[in-house]
Amino acid sequence: MKRALTVLLLVVVAIPLLYAVAQLPPHGSPTSPAYTHVSAYYLEHGPEEAGAENVVTDVILNYRGFDTNGEVTVIFTSLAAVFAVLLGSRKGDERLSEEPTAHQSPVSDVVSFIVRLLAPFIAMFAIYVILNGHISPGGGFQGGAIIAALVIVTTIIVGRKQAEAMVPIRIRRVLHVAAPLAFVSVGIAGLIMFGNYLEFPKTESLMWLATIWLIIVEIGIGVGGAAIVATIYWTMGDE
Amino acid sequence: MIDLLWTNLDYAASVILFCIGLYCVVTKNNLIKKFIGLNIMETAVFAFIVALGVVEGGDAPIMGVGASAPFTNPIPQALILTGIVVAVSTTSIALSLIIRIYQHCGTIEADELREME
Amino acid sequence: MSRVFDITLLLLLIACALAVIHTKDLLGAVVIFSTYSLVMCLIWQHRGAPDVAMTEAAVGAGVTTVLFLVAISKTVRKEK
Repeated sequence: MKRALTVLLLVVVAIPLLYAVAQLPPHGSPTSPAYTHVSAYYLEHGPEEAGAENVVTDVILNYRGFDTNGEVTVIFTSLAAVFAVLLGSRKGDERLSEEPTAHQSPVSDVVSFIVRLLAPFIAMFAIYVILNGHISPGGGFQGGAIIAALVIVTTIIVGRKQAEAMVPIRIRRVLHVAAPLAFVSVGIAGLIMFGNYLEFPKTESLMWLATIWLIIVEIGIGVGGAAIVATIYWTMGDE
Repeated sequence: MIDLLWTNLDYAASVILFCIGLYCVVTKNNLIKKFIGLNIMETAVFAFIVALGVVEGGDAPIMGVGASAPFTNPIPQALILTGIVVAVSTTSIALSLIIRIYQHCGTIEADELREME
Repeated sequence: MSRVFDITLLLLLIACALAVIHTKDLLGAVVIFSTYSLVMCLIWQHRGAPDVAMTEAAVGAGVTTVLFLVAISKTVRKEK
């Protein structure tokens, strides 16, 4: 009975959806409405108007900066929610930083050696991805995720306590809000200089400034994202 | 309709993936498994929206030396980039809730949790 | 040729999704889900969306998998 109902549900969902996607403009057609209006403008004017050769970065951080501003707030809120759920019955930071980790499973020498060997290269790649977000694929989110991955493998190798000691808790608290902070500071700079929140310079002569602002925001997102993901991993890990 | 779907193969694949994810969410009993199903549904929607922006023979929308038109549509890509990061935020919240449920009730099977009330 | 490659990747994607929901061992399911993300990343790279592909590889296949693994290590590994 239940199985029949499930199959019925899937059919009811799948048939209209398949019918609808069959009626869409052919896949890859350059004349589809999605491609001919705003996108054409962004592709044509993006690089000289928004300050980055990578048009995706232009759209994310400049043309639709408000979206991304909200989004970095979402990531920060998720960290707050994870704290609220997992640390609810605890005292808070004192126990987090003082109590030694109970489980310290031994790691094989091969894994340990390879991670130590690769760590500097991973870090360099992450920094490259963040700083070149405006001229090549990549940017804050990707680089931040790579840094977070580096922190996670380091935690597996040297243990939670030592990995945490690399960045003192006082600095880490600030790093968690780096992404919203970078956005708000750039937004307020735009408010003061051009009259609107998050308004980037548009004229040819000020393009260098727009590029610098983009890089500031990318760095903020990268550092903040990495700190948040690493803290979520640690918090979930020692529950 | 079949030949139309054949030209829109990417879209059809997204619909199939969406249905697989939905099946997983509806029938599976384990909360983590349900959430993997939800993640499959999310990626199916992402794949659909990215596919909307694809242009035949299009390059990545990165200007500079050596870039040549046509370029793929940058807007769906920007939207999905945002979406992926929000998806990982929701995943982290859901998983910490699941961990909490396990500590509290000792199980993460949906029917056992329902009986416990 | 490109068409054949496309269809192969899409079939691989659907096969991965089916394998995920049929694996009883949650650890295995999560690892297959990470493969699924990686195939998705290949498809996007092939479609001219390197930014999204990179995000999916770093966030979808990397961070999400790790979070799932932590959650499994804190709960149960076998699905009933």
